[in-house]
Amino acid sequence: MWWGGRGQSFNIAPQKEEPEMGSVQENRMPEPRSRQPSSCLASRCLPGEQILAWAPGVRKGLEPELSGTLICTNFRVTFQPCGWQWNQDTPLNSEYDFALVNIGRLEAVSGLSRVQLLRPGSLHKFIPEEILIHGRDFRLLRVGFEAGGLEPQAFQVTMAIVQARAQSNQAQQYSGITLSKAGQGSGSRKPPIPLMETAEDWETERKKQAARGWRVSTVNERFDVATSLPRYFWVPNRILDSEVRRAFGHFHQGRGPRLSWHHPGGSDLLRCGGFYTASDPNKEDIRAVELLLQAGHSDVVLVDTMDELPSLADVQLAHLRLRALCLPDSSVAEDKWLSALEGTRWLDYVRACLRKASDISVLVTSRVRSVILQERGDRDLNGLLSSLVQLLSAPEARTLFGFQSLVQREWVAAGHPFLTRLGGTGASEEAPVFLLFLDCVWQLLQQFPADFEFSEFFLLALHDSVRVPDTLTFLRNTPWERGKQSGQLNSYTQVYTPGYSQPPAGNSFNLQLSVWDWDLRYSNAQILQFQNPGYDPEHCPDSWLPRPQPSFMVPGPPSSVWLFSRGALTPLNQLCPWRDSPSLLAVSSRWLPRPAISSESLADQEWGLPSHWGACPLPPGLLLPGYLGPQIRLWRRCYLRGRPEVQMGLSAPTISGLQDELSHLQELLRKWTPRISPEDHSKKRDPHTILNPTEIAGILKGRAEGDLG
Amino acid sequence: MSNAFAALQEMMSCQNREIHTNEKEVTEKEVTLHLLPGEQLLCEASTVLKYVQEDSCQHGVYGRLVCTDFKIAFLGDDESALDNDETQFKNKVIGENDITLHCVDQIYGVFDEKKKTLFGQLKKYPEKLIIHCKDLRVFQFCLRYTKEEEVKRIVSGIIHHTQAPKLLKRLFLFSYATAAQNNTVTDPKNHTVMFDTLKDWCWELERTKGNMKYKAVSVNEGYKVCERLPAYFVVPTPLPEENVQRFQGHGIPIWCWSCHNGSALLKMSALPKEQDDGILQIQKSFLDGIYKTIHRPPYEIVKTEDLSSNFLSLQEIQTAYSKFKQLFLIGFPSPPPYCGSDHTATLLFSPSSAYQLPSDNSTEFWDTDIKWFSLLESSSWLDIIRRCLKKAIEITECMEAQNMNVLLLEENASDLCCLISSLVQLMMDPHCRTRIGFQSLIQKEWVMGGHCFLDRCNHLRQNDKEEVPVFLLFLDCVWQLVHQHPPAFEFTETYLTVLSDSLYIPIFSTFFFNSPHQKDTNMGREGQDTQSKPLNLLTVWDWSVQFEPKAQTLLKNPLYVEKPKLDKGQRKGMRFKHQRQLSLPLTQSKSSPKRGFFREETDHLIKNLLGKRISKLINSSDELQDNFREFYDSWHSKSTDYHGLLLPHIEGPELKVWAQRYLRWIPEAQILGGGQVATLSKLLEMMEEVQSLQEKIDERHHSQQAPQAEAPCLLRNSARLSSLFPFALLQRHSSKPVLPTSGWKALGDEDDLAKREDEFVDLGDV
Repeated sequence: MWWGGRGQSFNIAPQKEEPEMGSVQENRMPEPRSRQPSSCLASRCLPGEQILAWAPGVRKGLEPELSGTLICTNFRVTFQPCGWQWNQDTPLNSEYDFALVNIGRLEAVSGLSRVQLLRPGSLHKFIPEEILIHGRDFRLLRVGFEAGGLEPQAFQVTMAIVQARAQSNQAQQYSGITLSKAGQGSGSRKPPIPLMETAEDWETERKKQAARGWRVSTVNERFDVATSLPRYFWVPNRILDSEVRRAFGHFHQGRGPRLSWHHPGGSDLLRCGGFYTASDPNKEDIRAVELLLQAGHSDVVLVDTMDELPSLADVQLAHLRLRALCLPDSSVAEDKWLSALEGTRWLDYVRACLRKASDISVLVTSRVRSVILQERGDRDLNGLLSSLVQLLSAPEARTLFGFQSLVQREWVAAGHPFLTRLGGTGASEEAPVFLLFLDCVWQLLQQFPADFEFSEFFLLALHDSVRVPDTLTFLRNTPWERGKQSGQLNSYTQVYTPGYSQPPAGNSFNLQLSVWDWDLRYSNAQILQFQNPGYDPEHCPDSWLPRPQPSFMVPGPPSSVWLFSRGALTPLNQLCPWRDSPSLLAVSSRWLPRPAISSESLADQEWGLPSHWGACPLPPGLLLPGYLGPQIRLWRRCYLRGRPEVQMGLSAPTISGLQDELSHLQELLRKWTPRISPEDHSKKRDPHTILNPTEIAGILKGRAEGDLG
Repeated sequence: MSNAFAALQEMMSCQNREIHTNEKEVTEKEVTLHLLPGEQLLCEASTVLKYVQEDSCQHGVYGRLVCTDFKIAFLGDDESALDNDETQFKNKVIGENDITLHCVDQIYGVFDEKKKTLFGQLKKYPEKLIIHCKDLRVFQFCLRYTKEEEVKRIVSGIIHHTQAPKLLKRLFLFSYATAAQNNTVTDPKNHTVMFDTLKDWCWELERTKGNMKYKAVSVNEGYKVCERLPAYFVVPTPLPEENVQRFQGHGIPIWCWSCHNGSALLKMSALPKEQDDGILQIQKSFLDGIYKTIHRPPYEIVKTEDLSSNFLSLQEIQTAYSKFKQLFLIGFPSPPPYCGSDHTATLLFSPSSAYQLPSDNSTEFWDTDIKWFSLLESSSWLDIIRRCLKKAIEITECMEAQNMNVLLLEENASDLCCLISSLVQLMMDPHCRTRIGFQSLIQKEWVMGGHCFLDRCNHLRQNDKEEVPVFLLFLDCVWQLVHQHPPAFEFTETYLTVLSDSLYIPIFSTFFFNSPHQKDTNMGREGQDTQSKPLNLLTVWDWSVQFEPKAQTLLKNPLYVEKPKLDKGQRKGMRFKHQRQLSLPLTQSKSSPKRGFFREETDHLIKNLLGKRISKLINSSDELQDNFREFYDSWHSKSTDYHGLLLPHIEGPELKVWAQRYLRWIPEAQILGGGQVATLSKLLEMMEEVQSLQEKIDERHHSQQAPQAEAPCLLRNSARLSSLFPFALLQRHSSKPVLPTSGWKALGDEDDLAKREDEFVDLGDV
């Protein structure tokens, strides 16, 4: 529908002014003294984007060096190689675009001196010969300026970048591109990723998961239960919206228990915020809360999400350290690299997440029960764990489509505060939880190379997209803000009814693009790379024996309630903290005493087990990742992209590098299958589909990938 | 080609079946002990409990522990259970519960929950025996239920036979060769060049086009001149043969390999250190003479690399490896007495609780694997690998970019010389990256190069010696290359792993002698019986002795593509040029000042040789560092030609742990259904399809029946394989999510669920 594009190229038509950017007049004409075909430059601008300065330059650090133009706009710094075919595939350039917020460090080189550019004043009479842009996403762009009368331009563009960057810190909110796709027919290649903004999306997804005991609740349609929650979510069938509203009030920021995922075996994975300990719920409220948590199961396991996982501050600190370590000029000696890497603790946090997710997926898959992820805010680690659990347990989440829907549902729609966490607001609560998640996914990808439909390049693309200011997906904190922007709230008064279907969004001219519109920034060749050539859906036979869902229980007290914490289950007496001694619970943030068991006794219990426990078969499709020291590796192709030696050789998927590798492989292939004559093709499969060079490239890259970080 | 290979494998396996048909069998017992020809049972003990760790759940298997003069073996009572078809990558010589005596690293006994190293005469016998193997397996045997008599016999037997010093002649190698004599046929078609004939050296000279300036000499035939050197070797053509005899082969530049541009890699063992000025003078003039021969046209300028100083000491290697291996010698924690114990209400997840095990020295690893990287770093094993690779790159740069000869200098030219020169050849000569080429390389540089395998592995358990794993270090360096550039090598990492294991199997002669001289003199039978044929020792390169053809497919890299053959006329003109070399800055201006520099340096060469070493002369030169950097960067900035020069990445993040070798026995490190196997199986599947297509085409063209290709069926159903494939087959892949204890019973009634199974959930409705 909204994807219904036909044309090969987007019409980046001069839009009417963006409502939010009204103050900024589009300035499509560069300065008069520019010597380049300026209209060409301007046509590459986003709506509302202004070219501030530009200069011819040479991209350095990679063979071959490319000459082109360095452009600074009010959104980004971009390098456009000469001969860049504008009307090819992608309106935007994924490789050389640096959003202003993404610039982590800026350096200018002149002769032997190297200056870090912080303020506009720091560039006195310094004529830069080369400028180095270090991205906060670990990319590096080196552009050298040619001598010969162009120094003023080089100076100018450098100044412009410094200034624009300084200004961009002042919480400038960009509204995303609104591209018109009208008139582009119905030749859509792939099903669109459901943005989970409509009730239909939720209903479709619910059906897909066969979550029969659940329904789509519209209680938050006007964002009056919580602005951070999506407009729709899933609650148990039998619970009325009024009860939902009542129960949600007793959770932190109104984020009550909702279904995240229904396991085909019958278990449910729920997520919710912390109990709002200051509230004083009455008996009926408590009953509603319990019903929501219990979700019709007799067994309930509460998972303390924050337990054993890093805090937001920890994540942020680790990421900063990692970035410092991976800088090309980091002073760490080669033989001290490993301990320095360990010192960042980043991999340790990755390990902790994987371990916990693996434990939870065992909980979810092993018996029919309700497993509730509980985090105080319910917007960070809950999303991370819930997504990881689904990746581990649900083969469909490992497809390209499934993964994108997963991220859209568990992160974007669930209200992960992307803008704040990625440092967009300048607030102190910056913490790249989402990037931590991507790293975890990468670990899974390299541990189970045949189980994922998407490739490392896809993860890289997603990683690089979080700071690109072209779509709103990652530029807002809550679904409410996002909706406000995209004008979706016009349907304020609509109430979901089962037979009702929203008017096709394609009718509206202002279509909001999401990050999943990859062809905005990636060429078709690059998008092809998103597919994992080693993916083998047969590999993990998807032979779920869908265990029948237990008949929905008569509401009553759960027969067993457990707390999962520190890798162990502890029985709980009650589900909610309020009933007996609310005053005491309000004091302690952690409302349950930890099991005081020493490690020795734990181990003793562990080793006296009867061997027949080993007979429980591994559920098909369940992945159990390794998380021992040697198994957690550094995502080199992401974090070490800025290093010159890594940029070469085994490096990032740059177009030129890929081209080289492809042509090389194609040559190999020709030698490999020298005598296949055309008439043989019909006999079996076309050899070129069997050994598609892209596939081989991927496999080779995968194999070249390190075993240990 | 592949058909020929398959036929060869077929043939070899036939031979091999013969070898093993005369196994003696101990008939009294139910479980048979398979003995090799010449192998003798020394002692045994029954009702020994072997701990088996299965998915973090530990249990025991009763059986017999035996010690022969070849191995320690455990024969489980329910062998059949383990002996299912999952163990397809089976070693025919060493079973999964066999430890060759040479493979035993350390033996510990547990006395009252305390672990002690066992050696010498024991006063008290342990209740548990822990054996650490050199291939990093860890075995635990509980002797509590064994008769005291038997405990004494087996423990002291094992300790004696693994720890007491041995005479060379008492190695199992000889009993095996004697007993298997009739059946052993010299392998006619193993293409590995053994370098034990003059012809082999001439062939190698010709292959590398070194025959213009170098000649193979037979001056050492019968080891008349020197016992360290092989009977035949190669020296510069103008070198008089008397010179070789002068200092028993010391001070002689011996040819290793010639580069396509004519520059050569040479090695030289240092002259004995002398105090006497007179002798020093003689040595100096001798070296002057040598120098004059090799430092004038047609020879290139010579650069000396002194590997004895400022590089790496054997001591460092030894220390690093012993620290490093401790990271992987994971015994499972001491379990409580083997019985079903009570379960408490607290439920545990086995994966997590692996972190809370009581430490058993080695299990500390699991407690501390947050510190994994710093532990790894503090062993400095990876750093040693980096230094070796770096040195090899430096030498490659000299030869490739600066067209210089490099002379490796070491005391006996048999440790680091072997390592560095093999690495250089591996990087520069694509032939060495084929399996045959690699085996020939090891044969040339290590076996014939006189690497003291016997001493370095301490196979004879001499008390004054310690294991110095130089060869293992080499294999680890090769692994880094294989790992970074998989398509460039015909062999796989599995090949390297089983090669490293073969170091401890005493039926192959390859790694059980200090020099070819030692081998040849010991080949005759006891008592110099001149009538009988010399003993026929097996070489490790005959892989069919260890593996069935089906298993051998795992040693061959499916990604490897042979170098396309040019037709002959073309080849002559092109003279085998490397792609990269053409684009390198080969500047005349640069090399001219060095001419002077190296002239001066020849003095130092002589000084070095005379023992007055001037430190860091070459290595610290900034200019050389810059050359290195430039060479290295420029190579890596271009795309890789897998049939040309190949350089490894040596930056911190790029050097890895050889996970297959070091982690393969650790159950916790197993990723079910994951790891590289998953990709590999997909790849092999595709390869198979291409192959079958090609066969069909061949059939059409030649209208004749093509023989069936060997299908790599070991990888079928890779979903059931784990990341530790093809090793660690002890694990049954069923059971990871162990949700222990009775507490679960209360949680959900399994029966109840089973009853409801027949209700079918319609996914479509709702």
